[in-house]
Amino acid sequence: MRANNLGDSWDARCGIWALGFALLVSSSALAHHGAASIYDMSKETTIKATVTEYVWTNPHVELGVSSSGGTTTELLLELGSPPNIRNRGWTSRTVKAGDVVTVTFHPGLRGAKIGVVIKMVTADGKELHA
Amino acid sequence: MIRHLLALASAAALLAAAGCSKPAAAPAAPAHPNLSGSWVRPLGDRDVGGLPPVKEIPLTPWAAAKFKAERPAQGDNQDFANTTDPSLKYADPNGYPRISLHPMRFKLIQTDDYLYQLWEYNDNWRQIALNVPQDPDPALTWYGNAVGRWDGDTLVVDSVGYKDSTWLDARGLPHTTDLHLTERIHKVGANLVFDITFDDKGAFTRPWDAHLIYKPSPDGSMTENIYTISDELRFRERFLNQKVNIPIRR
Repeated sequence: MRANNLGDSWDARCGIWALGFALLVSSSALAHHGAASIYDMSKETTIKATVTEYVWTNPHVELGVSSSGGTTTELLLELGSPPNIRNRGWTSRTVKAGDVVTVTFHPGLRGAKIGVVIKMVTADGKELHA
Repeated sequence: MIRHLLALASAAALLAAAGCSKPAAAPAAPAHPNLSGSWVRPLGDRDVGGLPPVKEIPLTPWAAAKFKAERPAQGDNQDFANTTDPSLKYADPNGYPRISLHPMRFKLIQTDDYLYQLWEYNDNWRQIALNVPQDPDPALTWYGNAVGRWDGDTLVVDSVGYKDSTWLDARGLPHTTDLHLTERIHKVGANLVFDITFDDKGAFTRPWDAHLIYKPSPDGSMTENIYTISDELRFRERFLNQKVNIPIRR
């Protein structure tokens, strides 16, 4: 009997594999829900933005950002659960409101002002994957 | 002179009687391995085993119909907004072995009488009573009634008494209250392996197996990851704009 080696959080997401490793990394942090019904997993957006909030909570850590490229856009981005992103170097003090970051994410479907973080680069150049 | 010889002879006799005339025996090896420690299915690690694809699991007609009717939050048929996942809809405990399938840590604490398994996910835990018979009529619980005995270096765990409202995994794999798990827990190199046999005549036409591998976690600290309805509703309100009909505690 062949075992599915992706486990509970992964085992029914075979389609996502086709999108490549980077996508796997970003989606793999989501143990709470699938991503395809909320986000456009075929798109990646990168913006430089100011952190408006960073909430270390369950089921997913929340990152609010405000970008000001032309018009100001407020976005609410999700990361993985605290235990999962902690394993990737995030802490409850990684960023705070007012910090400037460069964040890459899959945007929300149908123009929703949300996204799921793929990676973030802090002002001092530290790159963290979600 | 004779007194000195007698004293030496007496001393030699005392040393011999005290066992000092030959090297002390080496300490006896532990009768069984100590499984205590921190273990993890590392995020993104593809070499950790898992439950088989559903098409390889021998579902009864009842189980197949129930599985088809569920709306998991993940997978090909994901429906997060309207999910029937009891752990999301009601914040029910995951049950077993679903809770062990997250890419998170658990700790094992082994005593003479029990093996305790403490999961990082939801701060849940179970106890495995060692060297006692299985309860013939256990109460139904989220994590079952588990007893263990050693078979050489393998801990064989027998568990029954599971509530039937839990899913065996995030896909919505069902079971009945007749679920009977037999786990063989053993070390393979540095890793800890759980070979699990699932037997449930109401849900499966024959027993089937899963192979789960856990790596040692050098960082033993656990992060709080308690899942609540408040957290879920907050997430749905903020990310999905779903209307929340109860006050959310933040």
